[in-house]
Amino acid sequence: MSEKLIELNNVTMQFGGVRALDEVNLHVNKGEICALIGPNGAGKTTIFNVITGVYQLTSGSISFQGSDLKGLKRNIITKRGIARTFQNVRLFGDMTALENVITASDVHKKSGLLGALFGTPRSRREERESKARAHELLEFLGIDHRADQLGKNLPYGDQRRLEIARALGTEPKLLLLDEPAAGFNPAEKKALAETILKIRDRGYTVLLIEHDMSLIMGISDRVIVLDFGQKIADDLPRNVQNDPKVIAAYLGVPADAS
Amino acid sequence: MINLRDKGADLWEGWNRPKRITFVFALLVVISLLPFAGNFSFSSFLNTPSASYQDVLVYPIGMFILMALGLNIVVGKSGLLDLGYVAFFAIGAYTDAILTTKTHLNTWQVMPIGIALAMLSGVLLGLPTLRLRGDYLAIVTLGFGEIVRIVILNSSITGGTNGVASIPNPPSVLGQKLDLNHSVNFFWIVLVMILLVIWMIRRFTVRRPGRAWEAIRQDEDVAILMGVPILRYKIWSFSIGAAIGGAAGVIFAAKVLVIAPDMFTFNVSVLILSCVVFGGMGNIWGVVFGATMLAYVPQRIRFITNARELVFGLVLIIVMNLRPDGILPRKKREKLSARKEKSA
Repeated sequence: MSEKLIELNNVTMQFGGVRALDEVNLHVNKGEICALIGPNGAGKTTIFNVITGVYQLTSGSISFQGSDLKGLKRNIITKRGIARTFQNVRLFGDMTALENVITASDVHKKSGLLGALFGTPRSRREERESKARAHELLEFLGIDHRADQLGKNLPYGDQRRLEIARALGTEPKLLLLDEPAAGFNPAEKKALAETILKIRDRGYTVLLIEHDMSLIMGISDRVIVLDFGQKIADDLPRNVQNDPKVIAAYLGVPADAS
Repeated sequence: MINLRDKGADLWEGWNRPKRITFVFALLVVISLLPFAGNFSFSSFLNTPSASYQDVLVYPIGMFILMALGLNIVVGKSGLLDLGYVAFFAIGAYTDAILTTKTHLNTWQVMPIGIALAMLSGVLLGLPTLRLRGDYLAIVTLGFGEIVRIVILNSSITGGTNGVASIPNPPSVLGQKLDLNHSVNFFWIVLVMILLVIWMIRRFTVRRPGRAWEAIRQDEDVAILMGVPILRYKIWSFSIGAAIGGAAGVIFAAKVLVIAPDMFTFNVSVLILSCVVFGGMGNIWGVVFGATMLAYVPQRIRFITNARELVFGLVLIIVMNLRPDGILPRKKREKLSARKEKSA
């Protein structure tokens, strides 16, 4: 079996009386595209939030590349190699597309304030490199012609693409995509599917939340299904499609089935 | 309303290097000759009645510009509302006052100490409080400003209500005396400090620290998820702002010779903040312009004595209504090339 990149063990997330995640066990293998699906409120985005350190786990543990993420600050988790996009686009609207990506790539820079002030060779080199890399990433997402435009002025689709470019700017090992195809038309979805495959081929591991079944079935290596904070399925796409529990979660159980 | 900022920036972008250098040089010459403007009939309208014009150029104008630039890093660039900025100015001023009267150090030797103490107090204040946001941070900093003033008011080493008197002037620089009769030399010193600060801010802005501050200002939660160590950069922002306030304080004490706690009230913090907001938060040139106006206008209209503050307040209200983002707003533009592409 392939190597596990991230593993959630008995993860529980409780908000007051609400159990958003209930003893969830799941893992993502290195180099795969894994999809996370489930009805609204199933806990998908909560999974992203516990992985990236936005929420502290009620119980359980998360190990990334074999080490526990417990208690790490959010920026350190990013530095370790986990980056995400947001369900509702959250770009730095007053920065250009290029600056958005460079800001993310700053996470691995060694030069700080004094380097910037005196323009040390290291700082200059890092600035140059990150700029070139940011252009390259924008090119990869097909939006390099937008490089000098402000984030808030980009068309919606390009904003979503820029979010992915920004996340890739942090050079993640695991890329978390939260509904990247929301609001896309079929042609755009197709292009996005190709992009995600290309991202995987570049060596990134992808965990994505998505509602569009044809997109998921087309590109995922594995599908994990959540319902009411519990994992109800974890299998190949075609098996999940025919899983009665999954169908019940999405469509409800017929009255005569009980 | 015409967009002055964009017009200016477009003009600047259209120029080549020699043109830019000539312009900056000419501007510097004009500015450094400002102290003499009062002597000529064609520029005598600049003169300030019932106050020495050359003194006004140093304090309040020069000092306000310095402090507004410092506060702009905190409020304008990183979006941290600091209502106690005067504390750093006071720390700088009292460091100079106490050390130059009680030891053999002169103003220039005290300068690094004053800056360091102001920075240190910025870090000490920032470490516990910069986890707070918005209104909460504003209240804590407001409290800090008052605490510093009250401590100064009640300690014996600071002279209590009497303050510190007979602070020595700084030693000459390049053979130019710095004393009561040579305000113009103070002006040039302050001008050099302002230029240094502007250089520093511009350096930061286009590199990593500027991006980090900008990201924090726009969306703190996303910034940290994109790997920006937000607490570290907030503290840097705070302490660099503090350092500039401290440096201004040192020069201020050495210029006015007598300082007292009532020079460092909450009013000053608000006034400096007004300079930043009035000129245009986050925009260096806007802030410089705002500080110049807010420092100069009240001096210029001194002849209306009683109604002065009222008129000043009215002018502020009217201008802020017409230009809610300040005279020269941040409104980051896209480069000419990007806009051309879009219209094409």
